[in-house]
Amino acid sequence: MSQATAVREQAGRKIGRSAVIEQGAGDPAWLRARRAEAWDIYEATPLPSTRSEEWRYTDVARLLALDGLVPTAGGAMAGRALPDGLRRAMEQDRESAGRIVDVDGSVVSVELDEALAAQGVVLSSLREAARAGVPEVEALLATEAVPASDGKFSALNAALWSDGVFLYVPRGVRVDRTIRLSRWVSQPGTATFTRILIVAEELSQLSFVDEILSPDFSTVTLANTAVELFSRAGAQVQYVSLQRMGEGGFYLANQRTLAERDSTLDTLNVALGGSVGRVDLNARLLGPGANSDMLGLYFGDANQHFDFNTSQDHVAPNAHSDLLYKGALDGAARGVFRGIIRVHDGAQGTDAYQTNRNLILSDTAIATSLPNLEIEADDVRCSHGATVGQLDAEALFYLMSRGLHREQAERLVVLGFLGEVLSKLPLGGVVEKVTQAIKAKLRYV
Amino acid sequence: MDDSPILVVTGLEAGVADEDLDILKGVDLAIGPGEIHAIMGPNGSGKSTLAKLIAGHPGYEATGGSVEFDGEDLLDMEPDERAQAGVFMAFQYPVEIPGVSIANFLRTALQSRLEDGEELDLFDFQELLMERMELLDMDVAFAQRPVNDGFSGGEKKRNEILQMAVLKPALALMDETDSGLDIDALQIVARGVNTLREEDPAMSVLLITHYQRILNHITPDVVHVMVGGKIVESGGPEVALELEASGYEEYRKAHAA
Repeated sequence: MSQATAVREQAGRKIGRSAVIEQGAGDPAWLRARRAEAWDIYEATPLPSTRSEEWRYTDVARLLALDGLVPTAGGAMAGRALPDGLRRAMEQDRESAGRIVDVDGSVVSVELDEALAAQGVVLSSLREAARAGVPEVEALLATEAVPASDGKFSALNAALWSDGVFLYVPRGVRVDRTIRLSRWVSQPGTATFTRILIVAEELSQLSFVDEILSPDFSTVTLANTAVELFSRAGAQVQYVSLQRMGEGGFYLANQRTLAERDSTLDTLNVALGGSVGRVDLNARLLGPGANSDMLGLYFGDANQHFDFNTSQDHVAPNAHSDLLYKGALDGAARGVFRGIIRVHDGAQGTDAYQTNRNLILSDTAIATSLPNLEIEADDVRCSHGATVGQLDAEALFYLMSRGLHREQAERLVVLGFLGEVLSKLPLGGVVEKVTQAIKAKLRYV
Repeated sequence: MDDSPILVVTGLEAGVADEDLDILKGVDLAIGPGEIHAIMGPNGSGKSTLAKLIAGHPGYEATGGSVEFDGEDLLDMEPDERAQAGVFMAFQYPVEIPGVSIANFLRTALQSRLEDGEELDLFDFQELLMERMELLDMDVAFAQRPVNDGFSGGEKKRNEILQMAVLKPALALMDETDSGLDIDALQIVARGVNTLREEDPAMSVLLITHYQRILNHITPDVVHVMVGGKIVESGGPEVALELEASGYEEYRKAHAA
């Protein structure tokens, strides 16, 4: 099928029950049923409104006309040469243990180190894994982590997802090098629904970088992602999301991490691109000794709007979580951080921290920071803090008194401010790549 | 060597920006190449304001008089332009810049002195930095630390001296660099200044201080006493010693009269 035909065929599609049925063609019965049920939930769930606390600052009804979007079917770009923008981003990456490429919601290539495959590591298109009857997919897809019942967009994703990633690392297998997902959205006005399901069995180790890019669009283009991360006892998992979409991109992600006993499940969310970015991240600490470091970095300019809604659920006692989100906002950009630490009844010995810092670079940029605590146990150590500050005049003078031009001084302060987050997760090539992207945004020369 | 003064301050009147508060009330001062001048004075006399004004601190504003550096009107220049012209101020309270290493900061500072499109050679820079650190007897790892972030008072001063050594100014303003320093830190500053003077005898120094003790380590050519926004006496090192013995009271009375 030629690409032109594919686009024409897609053009008639709308978000609706018939698209859900089309999307499920070829799926096993359990998955078709799960999609249908998710659609029912979607229809029964109202669109989040700014009257609800969690969506107060992001007016989806105004920003996103769901009815006008064309859901991508997947498969349309298979066999085509990779777009230049995607290829350039991939060339910057260091060596990886595996790589999966997704264009317009469909996986176009998968590579995995042969030695790892021989050890039982699985890296696959999620759609293919589901169709091949992989038991973990049936058991864990949209059930425990990001089920349809989670909310309007989780339901929509569970009903309409076209493809994504299934990564499975067996017990005791350590994947030293990073596994990468490189995603590209090419068609304006489309809605792409992607899922990522990662299972790290006991005492295994992996790091996964999920990068999404697109050109600039003149119309709103949705990339919706559901991320489900499981770290079993003693496993170590790092998940990094690099959101570098172009103008018009609307990035909407639901991420949930389930960390069992003595496991580490760390995340880093980097938001640099797109017109709107909304990330809901829920970290659940399910076993004693579990640990989640949650890092975030955002840098907005022009009219960019970033909204992070995080929660740290301490279900088990003696677990640790530490969140640090830092953002710089220029132009008329808006940054929203809402975070909550919930220490459940019986989660004694919890250590939970939450910090959000914002640097405002213009008179028209706005940062809103809403940290919160909800504690139902008495033997806990928790803290939260939030700051919104401007470039310090004394710091600027200090740098300028050494000969730096005002712009150079500002850039250096911003890079240093955001760099603190990257220094906490020194993952192969991520620091350099994000630093480069920030520099490009700062028009650094 | 051209002996005409590198810094000429004439009738300088100044105050806090956006406030009707006079601090300097007509200061005259000329510093020749290679000269070390010390300005001493009680708290609130305006001596620190003078240093900040010369460096271009945005919090202060000249309301009268002039400051010429190397024949150019300094008051018309941005702080970065003054730095590039050869003015350096060692801060009383150096600012913390988290996440920016000293090496990166200094590299950017040197890069800023190049023409547009010209690129600082990284190997040359590394070599220069190593050589400067060796000159000051400093540990190489120091340059990898974020600028002043979590530094002790002594480390902050050390960092100021390193920056001065790398940037090689024609005029170094030491803004109460000795305040709150223990004797070890004081000696770091003094040794640094003396080492750089030995290397470049043409470097001029304006030392702002409340205390006489730093002058035991850096020998001034001229000592000025500033009281009430004016220089009320100038002379040789003996002026500082007299001050140490009698205090500022006499000058205050004379000034008030």
